[in-house]
Amino acid sequence: MSSRKGETIKEVDENMVRKGIKDKVAIIGCDMTKYGEIWDKNQYDLLFEAFQGSIKDAGIKKDEVDASWIGIFYYFTGLSGAMVEDILRLDGKPSTRVENFCASGMDAFRNASFAIASGAYDVVLACGVEKLMDEGGSGLPGFKLFGHPLYPTPSAPAMFSMAATRSFHEYGWTKEDLARVAVKNHDNGSYHPKAHFRSKITIDQVMKAPMIADPLGRFDCCAMSDGAAALILTRPELAESYAHADDYILVKANAISCQTNFPWYVPPGGPGSEFTHFPATEKAGAYAYKEAGITNPRNEIDCAEVHDCFTITELLNCQDLQFCERGKAAEELKNGTFNWDGEIAVNPSGGLKSFGHPIGSTGCRMLTEITKQLQGRAEGRQVPDAKVGLCHNLGGAFTVCSVTVLGQRD
Amino acid sequence: MIGIKSYGAYLPKYLLPRDLIGKAWDFPIVPGTKAVAMADEDSLTMGVEAGLDCISGIDPKTIDGLFFASTTQVYTEKDSASLIATVLDMREDIITTDFTDSLKAGTTAVARAVDTIKANKDIKSILVIASDTRVPEPSTMWEYGFADGAAALLIAEEETLPLSIDDYYSIAANVTGPWKRAGKDKFIRTFEVKMDSMFYFENLAKVMDKILKRNELKPEDISAAAYYYNNPRMHGRIAKMMKFAGGVAQNSVFFQLGDLGTPMSFILLIGALRRPKPDAKILMAGFGDGADAILLQVRDRNALRDLGKTRMGLIGHQKSMKSLNNYNKFLDFKELVEKDRYTRKSSAVTIWRDQASVYRWYGVKCKNCGAIQYPDMLRACYICRADDQMERVKLGLRGTIFTFTLDHLVGGTYLDTPVPRCVVDLDGGGRVLLNMTEIDKPEEDVKIGMKVELTFRKEHQGADFINYYWKCRPERGRP
Repeated sequence: MSSRKGETIKEVDENMVRKGIKDKVAIIGCDMTKYGEIWDKNQYDLLFEAFQGSIKDAGIKKDEVDASWIGIFYYFTGLSGAMVEDILRLDGKPSTRVENFCASGMDAFRNASFAIASGAYDVVLACGVEKLMDEGGSGLPGFKLFGHPLYPTPSAPAMFSMAATRSFHEYGWTKEDLARVAVKNHDNGSYHPKAHFRSKITIDQVMKAPMIADPLGRFDCCAMSDGAAALILTRPELAESYAHADDYILVKANAISCQTNFPWYVPPGGPGSEFTHFPATEKAGAYAYKEAGITNPRNEIDCAEVHDCFTITELLNCQDLQFCERGKAAEELKNGTFNWDGEIAVNPSGGLKSFGHPIGSTGCRMLTEITKQLQGRAEGRQVPDAKVGLCHNLGGAFTVCSVTVLGQRD
Repeated sequence: MIGIKSYGAYLPKYLLPRDLIGKAWDFPIVPGTKAVAMADEDSLTMGVEAGLDCISGIDPKTIDGLFFASTTQVYTEKDSASLIATVLDMREDIITTDFTDSLKAGTTAVARAVDTIKANKDIKSILVIASDTRVPEPSTMWEYGFADGAAALLIAEEETLPLSIDDYYSIAANVTGPWKRAGKDKFIRTFEVKMDSMFYFENLAKVMDKILKRNELKPEDISAAAYYYNNPRMHGRIAKMMKFAGGVAQNSVFFQLGDLGTPMSFILLIGALRRPKPDAKILMAGFGDGADAILLQVRDRNALRDLGKTRMGLIGHQKSMKSLNNYNKFLDFKELVEKDRYTRKSSAVTIWRDQASVYRWYGVKCKNCGAIQYPDMLRACYICRADDQMERVKLGLRGTIFTFTLDHLVGGTYLDTPVPRCVVDLDGGGRVLLNMTEIDKPEEDVKIGMKVELTFRKEHQGADFINYYWKCRPERGRP
């Protein structure tokens, strides 16, 4: 199933999806905090609030939760599953911290989903939290502590900038094409009460902003931010006895793909060596579509929260998720395909551009957003008639991708 | 015969015009420029560059030793020669020694290389590298002189050689001339420069005079004399004292490049070898707490001409140098301006284990599919996914930029930015990520498809030792 010459993946290894979790897991409650520079609250406050909101939404008491999985990326936010115990006092129930770069939150949800689908537990919590601003706001902290002492470690914007440089070269895209992603997402975010940023911006503002990693400027990058989100899961047959009996949401597919941590060492011809697409997104998307039975993503998916840590990331992800042809994402965006009322709404919440990226929480925030979109109770812009939605994270150096497809109950 | 088989040099990219120094301090203006190394360079990295120039086309595994001479050794305990030998991918069973503390360390190392080769039948060649980055105290006249550079001579015993080394002669003289107390002085101190000058004339004239006499030569028998100097007037006076004919005493370096320290006489010699006369006799001399004179003779003009074509030497570097337009950049290069500097964690253990990859510049080649890849920690192939089919291969030191960014955010800080981060496809295979150095206008000049050369540089000071790694730079033409 090579896709190295530009064709999209059509064939997927059956073994990866034939025992999937389609329609075996239901989301019965979810909530998230306000995202932003939350100076006066710590990670414990944020997770407590998201959790309380989610059990209230599900109409359950905390003691009904059997087990939990929490997405946290940075050690300074918290170590181990004990983060859940210390915040929620679930009386020693099992809890696990999940770290998988920017997919940490969605991977926590994946592990929680497996626990439900296996029948091991009846009701579980999937949540994520990150407290970045306590470390200061100039770029992701701790990069100098990671990895090998000598091999260069680019900043996160620098990693994705290298894809932007190459996409400009290959596809003829411009900085203005990237700016349109920021303008669209901030426009959507301006309607969302929980977004970090709620101002609309112009292409001119994006173009004139200071450089972070050439060609990505200030508005091409998502912000440092604090936040938490939580979801309550159960089996569909139990879901009818909870608050969202009529509009619980089903997990249609959940897939992860891991590629190298070092895309810059992949020899020419190897996966992702073109720097114009993300093999992790391509593969996780293909696995998820197969599992969900989706054959035409563009027609079948109504709304998607797509990882837009940087503007270039959203454009390339839209291609790798097969929303459009390779090289065409900039044009499709310009034509309105990805607007909230377009063919496929991409980041109707405002995305990471509007919410910032408290890393461990972001996947759970997206799942909360799409759950509410499909229930017709989106907190910001409601995508008209949304029935099938997708959540997507891409983390590390294009390393880990997590894709979840959600749908309405029958 | 024992003599010089090859030579190489390194001069940093930048020249500081002396009028900028004069203007900075309201000093009387001195004409000319001087060579200035960047903040990511030191004696060791410049030594590597000179070594690479010198051994171009020569298998480093055939060289039996490395002597490194510098008054600005990067460590006071821990030798530089062994690290330079590693970076040059030399064998393990070689001899390495640092020569230090005197400006004549370079010529002394040449003399010791000759002795060693004569005394030991297993040692046929020794690479002698001299390098200095002496930092002058700001607002002193030393600023007009002290400059940065390196040079290398491959001393060997072979049937025929471009140059033979026929004799050397040394004297030791205890003079409290310029000094730096160990662990105490950041800058060079002097007591009485007129006395220093007197000893300079006396010692240099004495060794050159003596070596001529004991070889029954007259000043007119010498076609080139390459002796250390840090002042053009003093240079002229020695030439007069020695009764050298016009053009014999090599004086081409100070005006443009400054006082290069230990490599000065090597660089002057390399300059003198451009148009070799048949059987020409050449004197090289170094000075500092005594003096050394080395008598050489041209033996193979064609071989010398070939070296002139294949080495950057003096001219190749001079052609690609560029003037700074700002004195503060010089202060910044020399880390004389107080500011926070970026560092990251390090581990001597990791670096020791990975030295084939990080110093010797080896990658791996998949025996199954042939793909060359880096670094060598990878046990399964990126392309064909075969397990444990990797064999080590030496990687090239040039390449082409595949993609890049200019990173303004280094380690969560904005220090010394932007850093061009370049994905480089190496000539001969292998794709690597390298930071770029020696780039003036990155926004305009870094491009996809740009040709780059690799250069060994200081990266950071993590764990309180010097962390070196390869960077790339716009081509300067190193072979």
